Amino acid sequence: MSSDKERTSRFNELAEAYSTDLYRYAMWICHNDALAKDLVQETFLRAWRALDSLKDVGAAKSWLITILRREYARTFERKVPKFTDVDKVVVVDNDELGPDERTERDFLRKGIMKLDPKYRDPLLLQVVFGHSCEEISEQLGISKSAVMTQLFRAREKLKTQLQKDGVTGNVHELF
Amino acid sequence: MSMNFSEFKKLIGADPWNRDPGTLRARNSAPEFEAAAAEAEAFEEKLQSALHIQPPADLLEGIKGISREIESIQPAKQRSWMPLALAASLLIAVGAVGMVWKQSRQWDNVEAYLADHYSHDGDALVAQATDIVSEQDVVKIMTSLNASADTQLAGRIKFIKFCPTPEGRGAHMVVSTDQGPMTIIFMPKTQVTDGEFVNFDQMHAFLINLEHGSAAIIGKQSQAVESMEAVIRESLRTGLVGA
Repeated sequence: MSSDKERTSRFNELAEAYSTDLYRYAMWICHNDALAKDLVQETFLRAWRALDSLKDVGAAKSWLITILRREYARTFERKVPKFTDVDKVVVVDNDELGPDERTERDFLRKGIMKLDPKYRDPLLLQVVFGHSCEEISEQLGISKSAVMTQLFRAREKLKTQLQKDGVTGNVHELF
Repeated sequence: MSMNFSEFKKLIGADPWNRDPGTLRARNSAPEFEAAAAEAEAFEEKLQSALHIQPPADLLEGIKGISREIESIQPAKQRSWMPLALAASLLIAVGAVGMVWKQSRQWDNVEAYLADHYSHDGDALVAQATDIVSEQDVVKIMTSLNASADTQLAGRIKFIKFCPTPEGRGAHMVVSTDQGPMTIIFMPKTQVTDGEFVNFDQMHAFLINLEHGSAAIIGKQSQAVESMEAVIRESLRTGLVGA
């Protein structure tokens, strides 16, 4: 077993590498910033306890996602409040987007929140974590072709939602 | 065989950054393919921007604090690994100290009790509480206190034990909430000033009178401990027998 110092160092490296993406993922599945933070902390608490079982550093990301998804399903899912206004749950970014782009992004965020989990989950794994279709397939326990279908449909639904919301510009031109 | 436009759109719709040779060949095969790929990539950038939200500034430090907190309670764990005789003598000593602690406490009021009791092991129990405890454990303790906790509460309990209260035995629980873990002290025979806040050390508590007895919801000053009031009132049933 590694020394306490090495263990702590290894744990901190995981936290630095993955806590931000795990928080984003948690936010998009539970729609609540406090809950997302709690969920990520619970995930790392479990990771700390089971750290010695992680033999392959390359598998750390999937391992942490699995812990988070299990923890969410086990203790959080039934307590998550109903969908609330996206403006109340998404941190306002101080970036340099223009008004139209901000509006478009806000509509897109609302669309993501409304996505059925079967479409949302693979999309988040792909976009937030950079998972390949094969990795998503392994993570979710579904076939690669099902993953690809769900990813395609997820994007189609978002585009359709944007169209309904009347967003114009490049996105609109896609249809 | 070359890919048709519909197949191509499905492929890049599933993975806009797909760079396998077949997809690249298709992309370069005709302007409409090229345009569709460019549009898909443009949409993807918007999607990434939309999903890119900032985590709380203290998230990383909070996570790193987990290892520090657990390390700080390691000595207590290590004692249980000592030789049996030493463990037994320690157990006797700890038990004796515990009894003295329990019997020597004459609290003037609930506030003094909560401050004293929480300072004894409150923070350590919060740090140790990681898994939801079994329903059996909750039922066993609650039943012996003539109470019950429904799933709304029981499903959150990450630690439960008997504890001394100003009037007899009660239950000390650590529960999971959307603001992080909080501590609940159930005092089956003690009445409090309903709705009162009590401050001690870096903590505060919200007091609730129940049908029989009372409960204190304890958390950090930054936590809205009163947010657990409804759960406690709805889920903690008291005075089940011979009330």
